[in-house]
Amino acid sequence: MTVHQIELTGINKYYGAYHALRDIDLKIRKGAFVALVGPSGCGKSTLLRSLAGLETISSGDLVIAGTKMNGVPPRKRDLAMVFQSYALYPHMTVEQNLTYSLRIRGVDKAEAKRKAEEVAATTGLSHLLGRYPRELSGGQRQRVAMSRAIIRNPKAFLFDEPLSNLDAALRVHMRKEIRALHDRLKATSVYVTHDQIEAMTMADHVVVMRQGIIEQQGAPLDLYDRPVNKFVAGFIGSPAMNFVPASSGADGKSLRLEFEAPQAIPLTRPVQAGQPLLVGIRPEHFELAGDADAMLRLPVGAVETTGASTYITTATEPELVIVLNSRAAIRSGEVIGLRFDPSHLHLFDQQTEMRLG
Amino acid sequence: MKRLLLSVSDGRGFDIALVSVPLIFLFTMAGLPLVYNIVMSFQEVDMFSLGTIFRPFVGLKNYTTLFSMPETWPILKNTALFVIASIAGQFIIGFALALFFWTNFPGASWMRGLFLVSWVMPGLVVGAIWNWILSGDFGVLNYLLRESGLITGHIFWRSDPDFSLWAVVIANIWLGISFNMILLSVGLSTIPQDLYEAAELDGANVIQRFFTITLPMMRSTIGAIISLGLIFTLQQFDLFAAITAGGPNNSSNVAQYWAWDLSFRQYDFAQGATISVIMIVFVMIASVVYVRSTRHEVRG
Repeated sequence: MTVHQIELTGINKYYGAYHALRDIDLKIRKGAFVALVGPSGCGKSTLLRSLAGLETISSGDLVIAGTKMNGVPPRKRDLAMVFQSYALYPHMTVEQNLTYSLRIRGVDKAEAKRKAEEVAATTGLSHLLGRYPRELSGGQRQRVAMSRAIIRNPKAFLFDEPLSNLDAALRVHMRKEIRALHDRLKATSVYVTHDQIEAMTMADHVVVMRQGIIEQQGAPLDLYDRPVNKFVAGFIGSPAMNFVPASSGADGKSLRLEFEAPQAIPLTRPVQAGQPLLVGIRPEHFELAGDADAMLRLPVGAVETTGASTYITTATEPELVIVLNSRAAIRSGEVIGLRFDPSHLHLFDQQTEMRLG
Repeated sequence: MKRLLLSVSDGRGFDIALVSVPLIFLFTMAGLPLVYNIVMSFQEVDMFSLGTIFRPFVGLKNYTTLFSMPETWPILKNTALFVIASIAGQFIIGFALALFFWTNFPGASWMRGLFLVSWVMPGLVVGAIWNWILSGDFGVLNYLLRESGLITGHIFWRSDPDFSLWAVVIANIWLGISFNMILLSVGLSTIPQDLYEAAELDGANVIQRFFTITLPMMRSTIGAIISLGLIFTLQQFDLFAAITAGGPNNSSNVAQYWAWDLSFRQYDFAQGATISVIMIVFVMIASVVYVRSTRHEVRG
């Protein structure tokens, strides 16, 4: 018996000439919460729907709980899916929605009703069992959709952007609720989202996709700390990482950042001399510095304060975004000194955009 | 008068003016004839009193006369048979076709469009075509049935009292299939695809999905189509005129054709009006069902 609940090997998917999934290899541990994240059109939903069997894969092996499932119809895969639109049956009450899968399987009425009440009690729907979906709020519908998945006790849960129809406050709340539910049920979950914050906060394992390719997968903080390329570096983290073209000095121990007025910074790890680079630094890794220890001196463009933090955009080309977790009396047009820990620098090859070192 | 003009120029009351145009049109073109028809059913009408409105009032005499006529019950029975068989045939075949085209094979929408041909054809033309198809000696239908071994002799569809009503039913089913199919196709296309995906993941097979998702989601569409079908089949006149003319010996006569026959061929306007009034009652019931079912649409 394998520890992997879902194993994808060399999955390819074509829509006519369009290559939607390219050689996807992904192993999902039993009980893991995996997030598939990427911009629209990256293939994350296609991958999820292929898992569910709603799309047929063109090649590769799709194994669920040790059984090859390539051509198996969705109803025999024993997976439950929570749709973006919730896809609640509008002509059925909440209870009928929950028990639908049981009734289809021929579970007797009393047993189905008992199970529906049991699940509804854990998701806070007990008082809504007799309502129709149209009489529920967005958050309640979301809970019905999740309860409908839970009641089946499936091999894995598939979530297709389940929170994108909710308002911001409810989304944060449901994020925690889904994660808590997962911790309680210990069910394997695959969660598709375009929101990297959802992926980072909810998942044990994040899979970043672009144009049908898995760019990088791993623990959320590994992706944050060591992105393999410029795309992942820019995609994970908010506000996004700053990128500045640079070239290394003759000794390979310092960098020349190519602003209009170039500035030199020291390096902790030497690189090949004279190599064209792309330097990435996260907005939250900057600190204000006095004249003595400033590594960069940059003119300020815009200053935005939220109360808790200050967002500074520099008047440089390319512009930098700096987040300070404090208030700072800085005005547009001023020149400020900045400092950062050189170990927080991310170096990428300018041509291939791949990580160096 | 000045106030009326003012109400147009200042915009207030303009909405009422706009609504009144179709209302006046409806009242004069549909309302008045309807009322006139009902009035006639309580009067003694003959060729000489046709030009007046105030004719001798006879109470329910026209109705009692109607139901004492020997042909009344067979004709009403024919009407019921015609309506039920036509609607059942149109609906079942129309639904099957709608489901067939719903699978969206290449060319599906193009072929679905072709089916509208039967709907745009005038009833008299359809009748003429079916006269040829149903012809006893050299009709295509008889040929097909004989060659496939279903019958041995010829069926004289239009002149055999056992088949004459069914001849019109067959033609009417053909005429109504496309209308049913188009409306049902529209109904099918409004069902969100993700419901089927959810049901599929919930373990439902094709047949279970049809009975638990498609049919319940189509309830209002089906209600509307059945009631429209009832209204249309009760109006079906051309096919009777073209195929059997109600014969032989009233074996294919139905209320709507009989009403016309009594009024305009036998000049018994009062009896014709009486039958029409009875039909109005049925159409009214169908209209209420139609309006109610379009109001109760289930939407998530």
